[in-house]
Amino acid sequence: MRRVLVLALFAASATALTGFQGQTIDVVLSNTGSHPKIGLPDFSASGGNASLLEAATTLADVLAFDLEFEREFYVIPRKTSASVPVAATPEALPIERWTALGADYVLVGSVQDLGGALTVAVRMVSVRTGTPGKVGWGQSYNGCTLANIRYCAHAIADDMHKSIRGVDGVARTRLAFTSDRAATRMTGRQTGNAGAGKEIYLMDYDGANPRAATANRSLNLGASWSRDGQILAYTTYVSGFPDVYLASLFEVRRPMRPAAGDDRVHNLFPAISPDGTTVAFASTRAGSGNYDIWIVNRDGTDLRNLTPNTKDSQESVPSWSPGGNQITFTSDRAGSNQIYVMNAADGLGFRRLPATELKTDTPRWSPAPFNFIIFVTESGRIHDIAVLDLDTMQTRILTDGVSSNTSPTIAPNGRHIAFVTTRWGKEQIAIIDYPTGQNMRRVTDAGNNTYPSWSPAPGK
Amino acid sequence: MKRLWLSTMAVAALAACGGNPTPATPGPGAARFPGAVTSGGAGTATAPGPTRQVEAPPPVVSSPGPVTGSPIGAGSVENINDNSPLKPVFFQYDSDTLDEAARKALSDNAAVLQTNNSWVVTVEGHCDERGTPEYNLALGDRRALAAKNYLQSLGVNGERLKTVTYGKEFPFDQGHQESSWSQNRRAHFMLTAK
Repeated sequence: MRRVLVLALFAASATALTGFQGQTIDVVLSNTGSHPKIGLPDFSASGGNASLLEAATTLADVLAFDLEFEREFYVIPRKTSASVPVAATPEALPIERWTALGADYVLVGSVQDLGGALTVAVRMVSVRTGTPGKVGWGQSYNGCTLANIRYCAHAIADDMHKSIRGVDGVARTRLAFTSDRAATRMTGRQTGNAGAGKEIYLMDYDGANPRAATANRSLNLGASWSRDGQILAYTTYVSGFPDVYLASLFEVRRPMRPAAGDDRVHNLFPAISPDGTTVAFASTRAGSGNYDIWIVNRDGTDLRNLTPNTKDSQESVPSWSPGGNQITFTSDRAGSNQIYVMNAADGLGFRRLPATELKTDTPRWSPAPFNFIIFVTESGRIHDIAVLDLDTMQTRILTDGVSSNTSPTIAPNGRHIAFVTTRWGKEQIAIIDYPTGQNMRRVTDAGNNTYPSWSPAPGK
Repeated sequence: MKRLWLSTMAVAALAACGGNPTPATPGPGAARFPGAVTSGGAGTATAPGPTRQVEAPPPVVSSPGPVTGSPIGAGSVENINDNSPLKPVFFQYDSDTLDEAARKALSDNAAVLQTNNSWVVTVEGHCDERGTPEYNLALGDRRALAAKNYLQSLGVNGERLKTVTYGKEFPFDQGHQESSWSQNRRAHFMLTAK
């Protein structure tokens, strides 16, 4: 039902396509439920120079990764199909060659250099008996350049997932994380064991294009995003103590410090509310020596302790419910660290969530419209990522009990989880599928990489 | 979408693990030890370091090792930190309780701070690598505060004692066994002004 609706919307916008019209309904309705087996040759780059030819290969490589990532299409391995000649048009497609490889469809893509900007076009062509050569879905893209060619491929992947499978992809999302990869010595001799400073980085969801978002040679960690993707909240030690900063990603302005930390008031783990107005964080402001959950408006007004009655226990790592009405967090008030929930408005409704007998930490509430909380269980040196299904109140371990798996973050489409694992020696960021826990991919390499936070999808 | 989930879920459910943990025997490079870090020394040699205050170069300090005979408070802040008379305090796993040895170290530190009554010190709380990074950041603050509170109870002015937590972000010993962890569960004292 939903899928049909999506297709109707697509058909209405099909006039925006240049040069060809989609016959999307045929493709999709003949494949409901099954995963189309798709051939993905290099894009054609007629008359192109070497760099354009390279872009044509990159487009197909990145797109293949994106499609395999969501598992909505079965992609015929590009190595397997490497010997099939690239066709510039659907008419030129060597249909028998693709049929022999078991393809249902072949994506015929092209990239042209029209003087500066590139035009990229894709058409999904049926190679099935009965409808060979029929163009199912297509789209063209202006504004692609050699420099952003990976992003261009990601846009195609998101469109294919949305238009053909009715799925919100995450190909254009990013991960914020903390890394010591630059190996800069911490400035200011802030610690007795001044190792490398740890900066916050951003990278594409597939690990490409990593770049530093902070450069203060201090300790920076625990980044999280505003839902519009405009603001990054994080903890920084740049003043010598942990404090919460809010930095605008796309505008030049001084970061905000709404939690107003100092030598005695330490603030950790900011989380911006879904409506963007409020920040929840852990703070020692109450003076008991323990952390509480506090909230504050983004401009620093209306600073409030949501857990004033827990002087002897540690409350930390807040995460907002999708609607912004509740906050999940940790408390050790019961003797060991466990996950809890309370009302975001007043801190009432404070109650422990059914988790496991083990110590638990770092609860992360799913984005809408999903209804689950990811958290970490601890058993000796082993940490695993687990899920609490809020419909059934059942918990389940998602990772494999190998090494330490911590600091989970959920993809905006609810289908993947990124986390930190020590299974490869150093701390590295890996991604698994949700809810299967399968298909682990490693997305970082250099240095230690921690505290991942998945961005929202663009345009949401 | 839902169909995919259901079909694969059964496979995933408890097909987990079975072992071969590939521990990848850690040992990233040469193990570093608390005393050997001497970032001050290395930094001075290579990086120009904008504010490298040299106040009355104390002749004795160039030689490492205990500076018996010279007054404890002599030298720059950096030199004192490199061979600090302020002893670290160690903790049990997941604890901020001060045991007998910890209290002894703290009374010695209190004496040093009484003698050098202009010193301002930052107490750093550190943790071993077990436990999540998030949990350890909160635990480190408790350890630093436990040390600070005890020093205050011995008469040291709290204004001279700042605290900070580094959780498990900066281990003193890079190893992955108890002999390393016990070194990393500590409150560490850094002189910040004198």
